[in-house]
Amino acid sequence: MTPEQRLADAFVALAGSTADGPLDVPETLTVLAHRAPVLLGTRAAAVQFAPAGHDTALVVGSDPQVFHLEHEAAGRREGPGHECRRTGAGVPWAQAALDSGPVRQRWPHYAPKALRLGYTQVVALPLREHTGTSGALVLLSGAERAFSPATLGLGRSLADFTAVILERAREADRSRTLTAQLEQALTGRVVIEQAKGILATRRAVTPDGAFDLLRKYARAHQRSVRDVARDVVEGRSDLDRTDPAR
Amino acid sequence: MDPQGRVEDFGLAAMARRRAALARERAERAEAAAERHELLAAQPGREFHAQVAQTHRRTAECHRASARLQDSFALRATAWAGGQGARPRFMAVVAEACGTGGAAMALLDSGQNQLAVAVSDERSAAAQELEYVLGEGPGQDAATGRRPVHVTGPDIGTRWPEYGPALAALGIAAVAAVPLRTRDSCVGSLTVFDPRTTGYDRLTEVAAALTGIVLLDPEADPDLYGGTDVRAVVHQAAGALSVRIGCSVDDALALIKARAFAEEVSLDTVARQIVDGDRKLT
Repeated sequence: MTPEQRLADAFVALAGSTADGPLDVPETLTVLAHRAPVLLGTRAAAVQFAPAGHDTALVVGSDPQVFHLEHEAAGRREGPGHECRRTGAGVPWAQAALDSGPVRQRWPHYAPKALRLGYTQVVALPLREHTGTSGALVLLSGAERAFSPATLGLGRSLADFTAVILERAREADRSRTLTAQLEQALTGRVVIEQAKGILATRRAVTPDGAFDLLRKYARAHQRSVRDVARDVVEGRSDLDRTDPAR
Repeated sequence: MDPQGRVEDFGLAAMARRRAALARERAERAEAAAERHELLAAQPGREFHAQVAQTHRRTAECHRASARLQDSFALRATAWAGGQGARPRFMAVVAEACGTGGAAMALLDSGQNQLAVAVSDERSAAAQELEYVLGEGPGQDAATGRRPVHVTGPDIGTRWPEYGPALAALGIAAVAAVPLRTRDSCVGSLTVFDPRTTGYDRLTEVAAALTGIVLLDPEADPDLYGGTDVRAVVHQAAGALSVRIGCSVDDALALIKARAFAEEVSLDTVARQIVDGDRKLT
């Protein structure tokens, strides 16, 4: 594959067009972490992801050792990934030589451990969603020189594209949840009315009287009115006539 | 009139104004995001940002449309609270935005069954009920096919042999419907009767705003200010009838629909008679 083909291939993989349907959040992060080193010519890559409201970051690495490094760093709230994720774009520590004095001081656990693993340079690129930074793509290399502008530019594109995909995946998740909740709420209201009609006829009471029976039975058995109503409609319950709660 | 209701309606207007303001804030955020992506798109190799910007622009337009609906409703609610006219219906505002006098919304379950409806006026209620009773019509087709439907004149009877003539009897000569879509599904339909304009742009925009208002917005209100109806009495009647004649609730509902259609009365009329015990329907 030419570099252009590899790039196109990565974008297609991130957009989920190769699978049957869009990727979920962890799958998207995994694709990003695994494709980034090949595309950008870095030794390793990791992603930290924690959208607003999530305290613990989800961490994915291109190999087990970088996963452990970043996972521990996220836990300690230390290192370039954590700082980039918390402060967004443009942090002074976004790109750093790991053996420099100030870097060792700033990240007393992270820097020595990364050096022991053979990494010398690190950069963190923000995953920017329209409500804020939701995570960071961390690139690590064993080279002596800093990352080239071309590598950083491509890395930013990859991070931006991934952020858009992630935002869409979460929006789709949310709309699925809301749709299911609405359906459940409306179906519940229908079932309660049906059960009122059934009980009103069986017990020769008014629909309001029937609702009272449902409510009291539900309370006595610590169940929701909707569940009790469903049992009545599906013929599983006649609200036991000998029940003292009646 | 009911003084309690008037007081409540002052609250209704305030709520609508608040929701309009929130929708405008969301529109502004989406516009800011669009601008950010438009800047990024200008850089070489980052053309996909142009598409993202477009998505944000569409989102912003949807929130603007939503704010306009809420503003119109707030005006009506204020007038009503001041003693003018009938209690406002949110769907009347929706109808107006679509350029028509009559509109109906149906919320569907994943099996395409109607769970609840909201209408702008009595004629739209009757037209919407025809679709529920007969099991065919534009709203259902729009939701199932997930695409807009627009049929006029004699074509209505050709496409829906039972619904068509019954709709004509209500004096309706054209219908259009669009699905209420989320990112990957459809929660219902918006149908308008005798639309004055052709084309789906306006209808689609209003449907997107309505989907936000009933489902997706943080302050979503599926009840549409009390205008959404789950046909409570009809379902009570189905329950009652199922006991009397020993059939399933679904079969009882089908019987009630058939009886209402044959006698050319509303479902509510038949249902009320059953619930009150005035009618055996066997």
